[in-house]
Amino acid sequence: MPSPSPARMHDFEVVSNEKIAEGIFSLVILAPRLASALKPGQFVNIRIPGDASELLRIPLSYVSSDAEAGTVELWYAVVGNGTRRMSAWEPGFKSDLLGPGGHGWSAPEGCRRALVVGGGIGVPPVLCLARELASAGVRVDACFGAASGDKLVGVHEFEGLGCGEIRIATDDGTAGFAGFVTEPASELLASGAYDYVATCGPGIMMSKVAEAATSAGVFCEASLERMMSCGFGACSTCNVETTDGMKGACMCGPVFDATKVVVW
Amino acid sequence: MAVDFGGVKMKNPINTASGTFGQGWQFSELMDVSQLGAITTKGCAAEPWPGNPAPRMTEVRGGMMNSVGLQNPGVEAFARDYGPWLADLTDAGTQVICQVAGHSTEEYVRALEMFCELTPWAAGFEINVSCPNIAAGGAACGSTPEGAAEVMRACRKVTDRPLFVKMAPVRIPEIARALEAEGADGLTVINSIPGMAIDVHTRRSKLSKPTGGLSGPLCHPIAVRMVWEAANAVDIPVCGVGGVMTGEDAAEFILAGACCVAVGMASFIEPDASVRILHELEEWAESQGVRDINELIGAFEC
Repeated sequence: MPSPSPARMHDFEVVSNEKIAEGIFSLVILAPRLASALKPGQFVNIRIPGDASELLRIPLSYVSSDAEAGTVELWYAVVGNGTRRMSAWEPGFKSDLLGPGGHGWSAPEGCRRALVVGGGIGVPPVLCLARELASAGVRVDACFGAASGDKLVGVHEFEGLGCGEIRIATDDGTAGFAGFVTEPASELLASGAYDYVATCGPGIMMSKVAEAATSAGVFCEASLERMMSCGFGACSTCNVETTDGMKGACMCGPVFDATKVVVW
Repeated sequence: MAVDFGGVKMKNPINTASGTFGQGWQFSELMDVSQLGAITTKGCAAEPWPGNPAPRMTEVRGGMMNSVGLQNPGVEAFARDYGPWLADLTDAGTQVICQVAGHSTEEYVRALEMFCELTPWAAGFEINVSCPNIAAGGAACGSTPEGAAEVMRACRKVTDRPLFVKMAPVRIPEIARALEAEGADGLTVINSIPGMAIDVHTRRSKLSKPTGGLSGPLCHPIAVRMVWEAANAVDIPVCGVGGVMTGEDAAEFILAGACCVAVGMASFIEPDASVRILHELEEWAESQGVRDINELIGAFEC
């Protein structure tokens, strides 16, 4: 029998829920058992009560966890009714979630220099990883971006890591380089000094990063997003087409070896 | 609470809808699966199927729509990888019904032959002639009395073990009668309902195909009506499926004539929903003042 998902049911209470950029919120929840179980790259599947016609949970990545305080911080974009209801949660609000889901990033043993590339709401999982790598003494360079400067998240946090080079890009040039984040990422990769690349963001962005990493001969992992019903391997809806066949993002991902991804 | 679903002796009427409960092991750390009367495993064919491309799911008001397309590893890998856990579940008192998939009568027969040989622990088999998401087989052959009967006739020759048919939500009375005449031991009513969801901004389907299978509580009243039609049309038992979220939803199926009830989408949201629904159903049966749930099957009055 394959191993069941590590996800368990956790009740949580909202500690804070604040807007950090245009359409993007930071949610801090109190969920002690979850906080000590999560690993960078894993996700949680959150129940958002308040509308009996919207039943499925919403899968979200997390940006940091504090095992001592028992808290987990999640950044989410307000894109539909569920996340809109979520953005109105006040401290003290209670709900539950299933997590941690899937497996996280797997930077190679002995990795000395890594590059993380995040786009839009794909920044949190790579920031989470960057923090872990930096604390393990890995030099981490970061390329990240958003459609515009007001939607950009993570600048302060990446700077706070105090290591490596930081490159910012926005589609409209209102912050950093005007254009896609893939351009500065490809430039850095061409320098050839990396052991590992991790990326999360729009499919087209990740596929370009993966291409550049492959040409540079660097191992690259990507965190993929799919429509998901259960999040623990029962429904077969979050499929990713890989060179090894169809794989569920919830159990075999959400982090995949980028060279194995066929459809982004 | 024990019921006899066409020769499958269930300790209580709660079953799981195929495709919503994996092969059971996915739930092993989230609930006590052995509390259920039965589970029905995800459809499996003689050879592995990749299923449809992404996206395979979109949420709709009051439910969801999927176009998974019966992704499965093939019966051999199914029996090898999941068989030991499912055999243990059977020993723990929960019956296992394996769903059989195919693109043609020959493929159903081949898959069923393999199941009969490789899954001695299975209490019975459910023939899926109603998947709305595959180009051949599925609903393409189960939506007429003739097509459904042909598959059932061929499968009946393979085994004496209990055989059930997962029915498409069309022409219930006549197809139910045709299946009974060909020796079906029971009927599972209903499979997901063909639907469409369009993103009006991109003008594209919200799934990778134009249509998908609609499921969840929005389907429940339709499923209750179809269970009632099936139960009135035939003498073989019916398993009610469609949007069961509470014990009262399950009770409606029982009153409409179902002998057992399968929980579907609810398990995605609340993995142990089936156990909660079982307890709520028990409370309801008690509130009705009966000693045996069988007294309530078909006890609906107009």
